[in-house]
Parts: sequence; C-alpha cells; structure tokens
Amino acid sequence: MILGRISYAFREMWASFKRNITLTAAAILTSAVSLLLVGTTFLIQRAFDNLLVQWRGDVEMIVFVRADATESQVDNIESALKDQPTVIDGEKLKYLNQKQSFDEAKKIFAGDPNTLSLLTEETIPSQFKVVPITKDPELVRSLAEQFQTLPGVESVALAEDQFRVIAKLSSFVRTVTIGMSLVLLAVAVGLIWNTIRTAMFARRREIEVMKLVGATNWFIRVPFMLEGLLQGLIGAVVSCGGLWGLNRAWTNGVASFKPGTGISALVVPSGYVSGVMVILIALGAIAGAVGSGIAASRFLDV
Amino acid sequence: MIRLESVTKEYAQETVAVRDASFEVQKGEFVFLVGPSGSGKSTLLRLMNRQESPERGEVWVAGRNINEMPDSKVPYLRRTLGNVFQDYKLLPNKTVFENVAFALEVIGKPKHLIAQQVPAVLELVGLEDKTDRFPHQLSGGEQQRVSIARAFVNRPLILLADEPTGNLDPSTGEGIMRLLERINQTGTTIVMATHDHRIVNMLRKRVIQLDRGVIVRDQERGVYE
Ligand SMILES: Nc1ncnc2c1ncn2[C@@H]1O[C@H](COP(=O)(O)OP(=O)(O)O)[C@@H](O)[C@H]1O
Ligand SMILES: [Mg+2]
Repeated sequence: MILGRISYAFREMWASFKRNITLTAAAILTSAVSLLLVGTTFLIQRAFDNLLVQWRGDVEMIVFVRADATESQVDNIESALKDQPTVIDGEKLKYLNQKQSFDEAKKIFAGDPNTLSLLTEETIPSQFKVVPITKDPELVRSLAEQFQTLPGVESVALAEDQFRVIAKLSSFVRTVTIGMSLVLLAVAVGLIWNTIRTAMFARRREIEVMKLVGATNWFIRVPFMLEGLLQGLIGAVVSCGGLWGLNRAWTNGVASFKPGTGISALVVPSGYVSGVMVILIALGAIAGAVGSGIAASRFLDV
Repeated sequence: MIRLESVTKEYAQETVAVRDASFEVQKGEFVFLVGPSGSGKSTLLRLMNRQESPERGEVWVAGRNINEMPDSKVPYLRRTLGNVFQDYKLLPNKTVFENVAFALEVIGKPKHLIAQQVPAVLELVGLEDKTDRFPHQLSGGEQQRVSIARAFVNRPLILLADEPTGNLDPSTGEGIMRLLERINQTGTTIVMATHDHRIVNMLRKRVIQLDRGVIVRDQERGVYE
C-alpha cells in the first residue's frame, strides 16, 4: 500500500513534468543560472581570499624572520616593533610561527605546487604582521628600511597599492554577486512556484474529485512538491556542471602565468569546489521545495 | 444519520442562502430537497460534506459535529459520503473503469481490492460492457451512471445527489432514479436536491421544500407543489 502510494506520486510527478515542458525548462534554467552565480561568488571570494590572506586585517607591513634566528633575536624584533607606538599598533601586532606560516603558504601557493614543494615547516620564515597606527605611508616605509638591517630579519614586505585595490574590488564584487544571486534565486523560486501552480490549475478537475472522495491534502500535494523539488535539483546539477567548467578554464588560465607572480594564489583547491557543489545542490532542493510548497498549500486552501 | 440544528449560511452580507434550517434524516431514508433555482438546495448539500461551513448552527453527520472537526479529519468524513452532480464531474482522459478506480486509488486502497470492487459496482449500474470507454463515448445517462458508481464504490453511508437528472431526458432520468432507489434499498441514506416535479411526484418520498433559504415544508411521502 505504501509502495503503491510512492509509485502513484512518482507517476503523477513525471506526467505533469512532461506536460508543462516549457515552463519547467524556464524554471530549471533560472535555477541553474542563479545557482551558478552563487557558486561563482564563492569561488571568486575564495580566490581573492588566497591572494589577500597575508594582508588580512589592515596589515601593511610584514617582517619575515630567518628560519635560523635565535629566540632572543625574535624577542628583540618584537620589542623593537612595540617601541614604535606612534607608527605601529602594538595591540594588533601578530606573530605567526613557522607552522602557522606554512599553513598560510599552502593557500598562497595553492596553484603553484612547484614553489610550495620547495618550502617546509623547518625552512620557512616566521613572520610579524604589522598594523600601522599612522596614516602616513612614508613613516611605515622608512620604518621598514630600518628593520631590514635588524639581526635575524630575513626581509620586510610592504602591502603594495595593488593589494589595496584588489581588496576594494573584492568587496565590491562580493556585494554585487551576492545581491544578484539572491535576486535570481528569488526569481527561480517564483518560477518554480508558477510552474507548480499552473500544473495544479491544469488538473483542478482531478483535484476537485480527489478532495470530494476524501483524498488527504498530503496525498494530493506530494506529487506536485516532488515535481518542484526535481526542478530545483536538476537546476542545481546543471549549475554544478557549469561551475566545474568555469573553474577548469580559470585554473588553466591562471596556470599559464609565470609562477611566482602571486597570480597563482587565485587557484581554488578542488576540495573547496566540491564543497560549493554540495551547497548548490542543497540550495536547489530548498528552492524547489519552497516554491512548490507555497504553490501547493495556497491552491489547496481554496 | 444527518442532523441540522438552526443552520444559517450567508455568502455575502446580503445573500442568506440558508436561514435557520433544522431537520433530521434517519439512516436508510430517501429525502428530496426541492425548491426553485437559488433557494439553497446545493448549499444545504455542501454544508453536509463540509464544502461550506455555517455562520450559525450545527451540522451533525454520522454522530459527529462536522464543523468542530479539524481540517485534517475532513477527508475521512468524505470517505463516508458519496457525491453525485448534475454535470457528472468525470475525468475526460480516464476510462469508465479508471474513473471509478480513481476514487479508491486516491484514498490508498490496495490494487486487489480495486480489481474486485470496481467491476462489481459497474455491474450494479449496468455498465459492465463499457468499462473501457471514455466519457465522451457515453450518453448522458451512462455518464451519470459512472458518476454514481464512483460515488458508491466505497460503500458510503450517505449519498448526496445534486440534481442528478437535471441534464437528462425524462426516461433516462427515470432510469437513474430506479438506480438510486436500488442503492437506497441497500441501506444507504440518500439526500437528493431537485426541481423536477415529475420525479418527486412519482417516487413519493419525504420532501423538504425550500423557499429563499427557508424550509417551508417537511412532509413524508410528499409531492412537489
Ligand atoms: N459560492 C457562492 N458565493 C456566493 N453566493 C452563492 C454561492 N453559492 C450560492 N450562492 C447564492 O446562495 C443562494 C442559494 O444558492 P444554491 O444553494 O446554489 O441554490 P440552489 O441549489 O437551490 O439553486 C443563491 O442566491 C446563490 O446565488
Ligand atoms: Mg443547485
């Protein structure tokens, strides 16, 4: 009896799916496009994140400490940094030991395995991340030159202007893509809602008879909800295919740059891409269930 | 079996479709609701299967106050009621067999039971030769028989019929009435709305007469005046 009901639900769902093929295609396509945009947003953010990971949190200067520096040399560098309260924000000064620095390097060189393979936890420099308190870049620059010569210091790096541009760009792109994907996702839910409503309207005589002979609302509703769910899921699968293709093209493009230019940080690890795909599938299913759920309950209330 | 207590149903503020109606129908009775078009016959029937709810008063069916019943229980109430309409309400893309089977399928009856009950009821209504026809291949009287078969296949306690002969010529209508009488003789309570004088006068059943929503007569073995 349970099996009979399940097969009934799927049979009805499939028949209705074929009947409304144009509306169904539009709903699926919109879901796919909106979810692809959601996925792309995730990937772009991740790529920017890799690029900017060193400079996150207003860091403007990094003091790299030689791997073979003694503990007292490290302590000296730290106190010398804290000795500059007018230039440096002592509260925000952060030290990354070799293990933490290596973890960071894995992100930066995600797309550049050759460089990464030259690094080890033992040979990588540890680092002080410096957040300036002054607004005058010249002060920071002269401080950097001063520290270059301190014992135990390997090198000093300054945030370059292009990083600040990229950081701004990144937050702008994030706002725009998130906004657009939300709008498109709402449109997708609306289209699924409309398809299901139309499907139910086309079968209103059947639904009327079903209600008169005592079918429960859930029995009437389930095939239509499955139909909406399927639309969302198919849209999600299509968007995953699109995302896979986009990421491949992107990775190939990035790989053609010279290694060591920093561009390679823009490569997104494939584990992350699979994670995003799972999210897209879940979002597609939710969009389908919400759209068809609203349509089904509204219709049956009448 | 059915009891109405001071039932009033208003649609818009102005239209009172049923006003302060009270009556009781015993198990196995056959009752005609008569009155001119717009007098509230269909509304009374719709109050009995909870397609409508009254503004005032109570409707009791099979021992339960159906207006206090939660929505989720209404499908089970309706499984004890059969409905027959003037326009048959058959599904055009299903055969005679499928139309009747549909009523059992959607309440989750198992296949072997459907295979057994549908042919039996189609034989009862005299359509055993036409099980594979579609509604448009049948006469009006035959279509009404299919709809009666669908209403009766689950052996309801009560059959509610809204002008079942309204679209039929007199002799076909008489055939439908004989079928309804047979169903009534199995113990099924029947409430039938009609404004067909001839049929009411021929059968001499209990008559409840409505005039603009008010019951003006309730008479055993009555005629249409
Ligand atoms: N769904 C509705 N909405 C508003 N008014 C209705 C509705 N159904 C019936 N009416 C009104 O209620 C009155 C009784 O109608 P009805 O019960 O259909 O009478 P009958 O079946 O005797 O012809 C009529 O005045 C009709 O116009
Ligand atoms: Mg009527």
